[in-house]
Amino acid sequence: MAAKERSDDERERCLTGIDAIDHILNGGIPRGNTVLISGSVGTGKTSICIEFLIRGALNGENSLYLSVTEPTDKLLVNVIPFDFFEDRLMKQGKLQFIDLPKMYEKLGIDKEDLDFDQTRLLADTIVQTVEDQKIRRLVLDSVTSVCYRIKDQERIRDFLLRLGTELSSKDCTTLLVSEIMSSEEGYSRWGVEEAIADGVIVTGNLERRGDLLRTLQIVKMRGTTHSRAKYVLDLTTSGVLLVPLLKGGSVTGGG
Amino acid sequence: MTVAAEVADKLGSLGESSAIAMRLRTDQYFDAIQGMLDRFATKKDLDVVYVTSTIPSQSIINALEALEISIDHIWFVDCISQIMMSKEKRHAHTIIVESPTMLENIMLKVEFLLRKHSDRKALIVLDSINSLAIHNNTKILSEFLHILVNNLRSRGAYTVIFSMHEYETEEIRNMLVLVSDETVELGTS
Repeated sequence: MAAKERSDDERERCLTGIDAIDHILNGGIPRGNTVLISGSVGTGKTSICIEFLIRGALNGENSLYLSVTEPTDKLLVNVIPFDFFEDRLMKQGKLQFIDLPKMYEKLGIDKEDLDFDQTRLLADTIVQTVEDQKIRRLVLDSVTSVCYRIKDQERIRDFLLRLGTELSSKDCTTLLVSEIMSSEEGYSRWGVEEAIADGVIVTGNLERRGDLLRTLQIVKMRGTTHSRAKYVLDLTTSGVLLVPLLKGGSVTGGG
Repeated sequence: MTVAAEVADKLGSLGESSAIAMRLRTDQYFDAIQGMLDRFATKKDLDVVYVTSTIPSQSIINALEALEISIDHIWFVDCISQIMMSKEKRHAHTIIVESPTMLENIMLKVEFLLRKHSDRKALIVLDSINSLAIHNNTKILSEFLHILVNNLRSRGAYTVIFSMHEYETEEIRNMLVLVSDETVELGTS
């Protein structure tokens, strides 16, 4: 007997609120997925993540941003002033920002390298925060910085698997920001992140005849069919906008 | 009939979602703009997104101001001022695209402006196919027009693509036939 055909309707979706991404994913990220947002500097990763959280909060979903590299107050000064942002979201706790260094401090993690127990403790604390605050959308910016402190590949694998499994069981959709060099192959610094994540969204810079275009491509997303084409991205006050990358530009000798 | 009246008359007879190729001579240029923006768009209460790759947006704004045409509902996507290293002050209704070769960015800026003013019907003007053809090959330009025009059509917007008689080539004519619903020839009535 032929195997039952999988349909995109099988899993509940988490609408990112970024219309083009939801369209590419045939209705949003499958709820509970852990998705790697991978790209080099200045390609729009943080803007995508913040819009994802604001749109969720506006839709009544508790949203949390865990900032590793940049203090929240500095981040908020530099973020795009989205037209749809409302102050009440933060006042009501619908949209929360936590600096991970403060979490390290609370947990008594003061050494640069995290050992096995500390790595477990960190994963469990994030999961507990998600459970306590009933978080439905989480961003960890960046997972690369956390992995730098874990260092060991096995422990990184354990951390990500534990985090992904636990968050998924709580229906929390998670974006993990992965910082890569523009020259780097693969989608993550350690190679482990992309293998464990349910989805990989890659942002980048494309140089075409001296013009530098911001691009986005969804290369993997478990639980849905999706386009794998490359799109051109713009970061605007109305949100992240995408249009298809014109193929004529990639024809050799084609103007 | 004046050129301005002729433009307003011909555009007025077309339905919403129409993509129009407007073929004109350079001496009809400013009269055609006046007819389109002042007589047609104002009468229909349309927002206008004016994509210019021919002359800087400030030159068009200056001309409109001289004609006492309000630009309250006109926004410009200017693809030429940056590449000209123009030092002119940027008008609040102007968004700059770095170069006319960045066709995707033109689409993105049009999309941005339409989202900003989504409560009103819109007219999108592409001025002109000839100047875009200077900077882009036919293949990528056809692809750009095909995607842009179909997107605008699905939103119920009017699209007008200027083509100057003096600079038309066979390729440009074929491209316009492919993407537009109607061709308006000025000076034939």
